Amino acid sequence: MPYIAIVDDEEPVRKALKRLLSASGLEAESYASGKDFLEASALRRPDCLVLDLHMPGMSGLQVLQELRAAHTALPTVVITAYDEPQTREQCLAAGASAYLRKPLDERLLLNAISANVKRSPKENHR
Amino acid sequence: MDAHPAPANLVQALRLRLPSWLPAALAVAVGYYLAARLGFALTLKPHPISTLWPPNALLAAALLLAQTRSWWWLLLAALPAHLLAELQSGVPTAMVLGWYVSNCGEALIGAAIVRAFVQGPLRLDSLRNAAIFLLGTALAAPLVSSFVDAALVHLIGWGDAAYWELVRARFFSNVLAELTIVPLIVTWAAVATSTPHETRPARYAESAALFTGLLLVCVLVFDLPHREAHASPAVYYAPLPFLLWAAALGPAASASALALMTIATIWGAVHGLGPFAGRTPQDTAREMQLFLTAATVPMLLLSVALAERSRVEREAREQRRQLTHLSRVAMLGELSGGIAHQLNQPLTAILSNAQAAQHYLANKNADPALLSEILADIVAADKRAGDVIEGLRALFKRGEAHFETLDPNRLVREVLALAQGDLATRGIEVSMRLQPNLPEVRADRVQLEQVLLNLVVNAAEAMRACPPKDRLLIVQSTATAGRIHVNVIDRGSGFKVSPEQLFEAFYTTKPQGLGLGLSISKSIVTAHGGRLRATTRRGGGAAFLVTLPALPKQ
Repeated sequence: MPYIAIVDDEEPVRKALKRLLSASGLEAESYASGKDFLEASALRRPDCLVLDLHMPGMSGLQVLQELRAAHTALPTVVITAYDEPQTREQCLAAGASAYLRKPLDERLLLNAISANVKRSPKENHR
Repeated sequence: MDAHPAPANLVQALRLRLPSWLPAALAVAVGYYLAARLGFALTLKPHPISTLWPPNALLAAALLLAQTRSWWWLLLAALPAHLLAELQSGVPTAMVLGWYVSNCGEALIGAAIVRAFVQGPLRLDSLRNAAIFLLGTALAAPLVSSFVDAALVHLIGWGDAAYWELVRARFFSNVLAELTIVPLIVTWAAVATSTPHETRPARYAESAALFTGLLLVCVLVFDLPHREAHASPAVYYAPLPFLLWAAALGPAASASALALMTIATIWGAVHGLGPFAGRTPQDTAREMQLFLTAATVPMLLLSVALAERSRVEREAREQRRQLTHLSRVAMLGELSGGIAHQLNQPLTAILSNAQAAQHYLANKNADPALLSEILADIVAADKRAGDVIEGLRALFKRGEAHFETLDPNRLVREVLALAQGDLATRGIEVSMRLQPNLPEVRADRVQLEQVLLNLVVNAAEAMRACPPKDRLLIVQSTATAGRIHVNVIDRGSGFKVSPEQLFEAFYTTKPQGLGLGLSISKSIVTAHGGRLRATTRRGGGAAFLVTLPALPKQ
């Protein structure tokens, strides 16, 4: 079963996403901050990361930069409740594989996750 | 088939045929006749000239209020009333017609001079208009018409008075009439046509007290048998406090009070009562005319000046209110991204929860306990979204200030809840350091929220260039003797100008800023009896301190 990590500073959102992914047959774990996730990912690396953009302390963009700095090619779906015109490009340039606006379209989210989950093993074998 | 027109249409059709000046013309005819009767009643027999001759002034007032193109109809409407009133008194027809011409001439000159300088119906709401009225209608018109009038009397050979004596008597009589009648009609017409706004019962009571007091004093001074022992000139000042009181209530009240005193004074003299009686009719009339004119002109000007000042102040207040609202709406516009964030978060929770529940139900592995937990979370998220909207609604509204007792800490929490979305999208962490059990304040909630929100938004903007780990907003509340303080502290770049300049209108560092936020915030805090101060912090950042008077603890 693919393992998905969720990072969002807002508890109700975190909880709801974890439920949705679990109900869709995925294994999901959620984290309240980028820092919490980065620490935990050292122990168990998820197949895909669902990452909120606007968070106090460490933003989603910084998490992407940290992952890149650590040469961790982790498929990441960035989600955000508010964005500016250039945000999408910034995230994709920083290594995000998909960029979705909240409230999340369930199909788009699951498609983005499954596309990455399927693709990532191939990439790893290359 | 629509063979029967509705009665309402018929009425409308009939009404449309009536010229618009007709009601005014009828009012002038009736008013002119009554004014003439009043003029006769105020005549000191056997002196033929009334102390105050109101018909000319009534006609002038009608012209001043009417459109210029209906002036001729109004003048014509006065003719039957004039004939009816004057022919009863046994005056030759040629003299009656001559007076009609001179009366109309006076009204026409007075109205034309005013119309040349003041557009539309005359309103005695500015010193400029009052001055034009005094010089044109109350001085120039009687002056010209008095010469014409006296000349006509001589030409026709009515009576045996000397020409200059006639001119002088007519002039003062007409001046006093213009001064008394025209302001009365013009100001009450303005009251009648103004947008009705709530008049408080206290205002009625005040007017009743004023006019009762004035009537009483006028009767005591002017309408009782005159005794030499009471002849001190001081008694003439007895109505003065009431006239000043009336002037403070506005031009309509002032004109009414002056008219009341004028009628009471002349009525007394006509009946041989009061301090003006006991001389020749000419002397009595002249003394009264001088006394009443000297009282009326300054009182009228005073009432107009006071009304003009209070109107200017009212307009300035209204402008300030609009500006405050405008700046609030502009600030909410700046917050719109944050508000979108704040609404999208609960919407995301609601949607994803609901879809999770759909999956559980579709897979037939729905645990009722889990479903009820999901539903509870949906309800909570929905309420949160509702609270955001509720918090915004009051800020968007435009309304009068409404003072209530407020808990400063609660206000801080509400404002931070409103700004939460904006702060989150900017990656700003908030530290609330609120002193528990603060005393309450008496304030307008919306205005104070506007101040705090403005400070929070400014602080957030000031930290735009900060490294993310330094983006910390501190909101502190404390209390000292009789005061509460709310301090909004950022770690931004501080400000480079003096604190005074910071609070000036139109000073801004934001590209899209109006530069009104801090200036309006300061005036709001000052209006609440408090102070708003700004300081730069050592090690970077600014602190804005709101100090407000605290209510005594219960």
